[in-house]
Amino acid sequence: MAKHRGRGFATIEYPTGMNQNGDPSQAWIKLKPDGRVDVFSGTVDIGQGSKTVHTQIVADTLGVPYDWVTMDNTNTDSSAVCTGTFASRGTFIGGNAVRLAAERVRERILDIASKELEIDPSDLEIADGEVLAKGSPQKKIGVADVAGAATYNYGELISGSSTALKPFADVDDATGQVEIEPHSAISYAACVADVEVDDETGEVTVLKMVQVYDVGRAINPLLVEGQIEGGAIMGLGLGLLENSYPYYPSVDHRGGEFGAYLGPAFADLPELDNVIIENPSADGPFGAKAIGEMANNAQPPAIANAIHDAVGVWVTEMPATPDRVLAALKAKAEPRRDGKRVIFDEQLSVRTVSSNGGEGYWGVEP
Amino acid sequence: MKAVGARLPRYDGVGHVTGRTRFVDDVRVGKTLWVKALRSPHHHAAITRLDVSKAAAMPGVHAIVTHEDIPRNVYGHLEALGVPGDEPLLAAEDVRYLGQPIAAVAAESEAAAQAAVEAIEVSYEEKPALFDIRKALDPDAPQIHHWGNVYPHYGSYNHRRVRKGNIDWAFEKADVIVEGVYRPQAIEQLPLETQVCTVVPEPDGRLTVYSCTQAMYFSMGVVAAHLQWPLNRLKFVGGTVGGGFGGKVDTATDTICCLLALKARRPVKWRWTREEEMLCSSTRAPWHIELADAVTSDGWILGRRTLTIHDAGAYARFSPYGLTKHAFHHSGAYTIPNLRFDGFVAFTNRVPTTAMRGFGVTSVSFAVETHLNRVAEAIGMDPWELRLKNANRVGDTTGNGVTLKDPSTVPVTLAAAERVGIELPAEYRAMTSDPRGGDLLPEHLAAQQNLSELNGGGH
Amino acid sequence: MRLTVNGIESEISSPPLTPLLHVLRDELDVTSPKAGCQQGGCGTCTVLVDGEPRRSCLTPVAAVDGASITTLEGVGEPERLSPVQAAFYEKYAAQCGFCTPGMIMAATALIDRKGGPVERDEVLEALGGHYCRCTGYVKIVDAVMAASRGEVGDVQDLPVSEAGEPSVEVHGSPA
Ligand code: FES
Ligand code: FES
Repeated sequence: MAKHRGRGFATIEYPTGMNQNGDPSQAWIKLKPDGRVDVFSGTVDIGQGSKTVHTQIVADTLGVPYDWVTMDNTNTDSSAVCTGTFASRGTFIGGNAVRLAAERVRERILDIASKELEIDPSDLEIADGEVLAKGSPQKKIGVADVAGAATYNYGELISGSSTALKPFADVDDATGQVEIEPHSAISYAACVADVEVDDETGEVTVLKMVQVYDVGRAINPLLVEGQIEGGAIMGLGLGLLENSYPYYPSVDHRGGEFGAYLGPAFADLPELDNVIIENPSADGPFGAKAIGEMANNAQPPAIANAIHDAVGVWVTEMPATPDRVLAALKAKAEPRRDGKRVIFDEQLSVRTVSSNGGEGYWGVEP
Repeated sequence: MKAVGARLPRYDGVGHVTGRTRFVDDVRVGKTLWVKALRSPHHHAAITRLDVSKAAAMPGVHAIVTHEDIPRNVYGHLEALGVPGDEPLLAAEDVRYLGQPIAAVAAESEAAAQAAVEAIEVSYEEKPALFDIRKALDPDAPQIHHWGNVYPHYGSYNHRRVRKGNIDWAFEKADVIVEGVYRPQAIEQLPLETQVCTVVPEPDGRLTVYSCTQAMYFSMGVVAAHLQWPLNRLKFVGGTVGGGFGGKVDTATDTICCLLALKARRPVKWRWTREEEMLCSSTRAPWHIELADAVTSDGWILGRRTLTIHDAGAYARFSPYGLTKHAFHHSGAYTIPNLRFDGFVAFTNRVPTTAMRGFGVTSVSFAVETHLNRVAEAIGMDPWELRLKNANRVGDTTGNGVTLKDPSTVPVTLAAAERVGIELPAEYRAMTSDPRGGDLLPEHLAAQQNLSELNGGGH
Repeated sequence: MRLTVNGIESEISSPPLTPLLHVLRDELDVTSPKAGCQQGGCGTCTVLVDGEPRRSCLTPVAAVDGASITTLEGVGEPERLSPVQAAFYEKYAAQCGFCTPGMIMAATALIDRKGGPVERDEVLEALGGHYCRCTGYVKIVDAVMAASRGEVGDVQDLPVSEAGEPSVEVHGSPA
């Protein structure tokens, strides 16, 4: 009876944006007469930080300070369509919507600045809230003055709107093949988990997880870390702790109490080491890809592989509770071999459990 | 100063740390009524009688709604994507899961609403229930859904398919075939804020919906469809949510609150108890995945045969979408030239499952990544090397025929190995995502390469 | 019954068994304590009762008659954050922000009690019954430890951060 250490890892990929696309996000932006920027976007901030990320994107696209930008995502009267905060689409698709709208606003700022400075717009740039002549930055006008001139001299509202949309990708139902890319980008990640398994109690403790994420471009590294860390603990819960139906497929002993459900708590927190890789995407705002959803996908298999490394058993029903680990240790199941086939988990299979050998599932045409 | 890339403070951070952020439960509107729901006590039953008259006459009760009050009771959230509707907003004839809403009450207080719910007269005739998706297509399985026990609308198929290359060739040619079964579980989204909604009837006839939805326009569309209203009669107020993780795409409370606010002509509020959140709100789906990989003894994955069954619970919701996403990603971060995938969405008498972080893919990532370690063991190969050898590279095609432009399987795997001090052979350490060539482009992959597409714009 | 909430004394009219949480939120309109579970299981409703952290959802108001209650509204102002608030802000210890009021109250009590630097284990212990679904706890632990050491910047300076090139580790990306 002893504690055994083990290490496992997993590499995963995950799409950005709704599968098969067709999920628009729209945004519109207007300038106040002092150059301050109002952004209207329907992207819901569920804690991941889209308001912050979108503000950063708009600030840099326009060339104005971050604190000039106000973000209103509060209601459907003032904001345009955002399909929603899911499918890891907030930074990429919502972010592209505000970026494209900001590019239009930028063009309008440059047009008016060009009249004021009598310099062609293509020879102007915007930085830190000022429109400058490229190469001779002493010729300049503040964005605030441009906005004021637009409002009071030219009778114009500087504004811009845009939609980020990739068209729906039809799928051939016979083969699953698509004609156009059915996602906006693909992100990748790897996770290494170090665990300790107590072969007497079956308890598994995650000691450390090293996680590597390619996010294209970390628009706000703190928010990326927040996703990596929050996802890691959710993945740990999936791998080891949580279960809505503890006796699945039975519905018995389903609990309605927060305290009875084993969501990961402070005590479950392992050491975490985050590595962010930036392999930019061609189409994302500033090269960004998504991270939100994939962040709890790599830990469960990394943990399952680590348990195998520690004590030599596979737990392929999630989560790897002490009961399951002990049962696996007791069974010490070896795969059945049949010619070149190596067959694991036969007792769990449809062929075994169904009353007619799983005919309904296995009997489909080729 | 550049904002992108900077560790700027959260836009809403000061509100969060001072307790000033206003969540839906913090919205205060005078004369608000409380909402409570009558929910099914059975997993599967016919409703034989439903009489709300006594409850409606109770003191403090202002409105009760049942299926009869809903202009369009059955509306599918994914109808626009071709998934027909199957779930009633309030149960009419049958209840198909424990906790399914049948009627809702708006009353002066939470207690008065609950008392009225308990006074609703309802009788049931219980029916056999189905819980094991592996048995859903057995000849003796109880029939629990009017479509049959699996979702039948993948074009003319009752399953989502992927067919790529020549799967028979791959299994013929393989030195070893490794088979395994993977069963990821249901979990709660478990946001700290439970489902909550306040609806205020405005003097101009519009409704203001204070919503915890993760998707304001999407939920507004759902409410408008049930009410058969144009969008401009609704105003959703939201954008600040106390955690979602997928569970707040369901539009669980908004429509019923709108119906009650209209009927009562008063603001109404429905905040689910934690118990309701855990027992009646949808979970992440449980999955059943059977993989068979055809591999060569030197570590090429020639083909993969997959059977997936997705436990949708009682109604389709987003499950047909989730399974398609699962199908599109079932080869993981690797390039496998020959695939045969059959995936089913099976119905059971549990709470409908829905989106949760990693929707459709969390399950298959678990299956694939655990399976690959078994494959590595079966052929006596290092699991890092197995993955790097089969990794996605620029110009590879995915299971559904997309040419990859910027994959990162190799860099993330190498970075992880390096970070934990794994010493890989030099040839592996030198790998990149660059297009295949030489030893990394064996005949069976060369046939599928489409590098011209990359250069010519391709997909 | 009377309660002093964030320094303001009020006469309470709710029935004596009403949970303190409801008195605060519904009678007094003090909304930072959140009704995460109302089962004593999550910690979002935590307030200080005479300086001690208590779950207000399980505390009948009669049991704290005459007490002094502190909620997050009484800890600091947006322009004058307390060290714990400043650390949570600076270190991104709040994502959705729903657990944050309870976390900050518990952390404030811990730091007050200890009166000096708190260690990681002490944070895990004192905040152990508080759930956060978003952050994975890492940044909350960091924030509490930093606040106890006075390692928070001048909050007025926070919005301006040096930037330019990404401060993340960038490994070689493929072509
Ligand atoms: S609301 Fe009091 S502990 Fe959850
Ligand atoms: S920040 Fe969302 S629960 Fe903690």
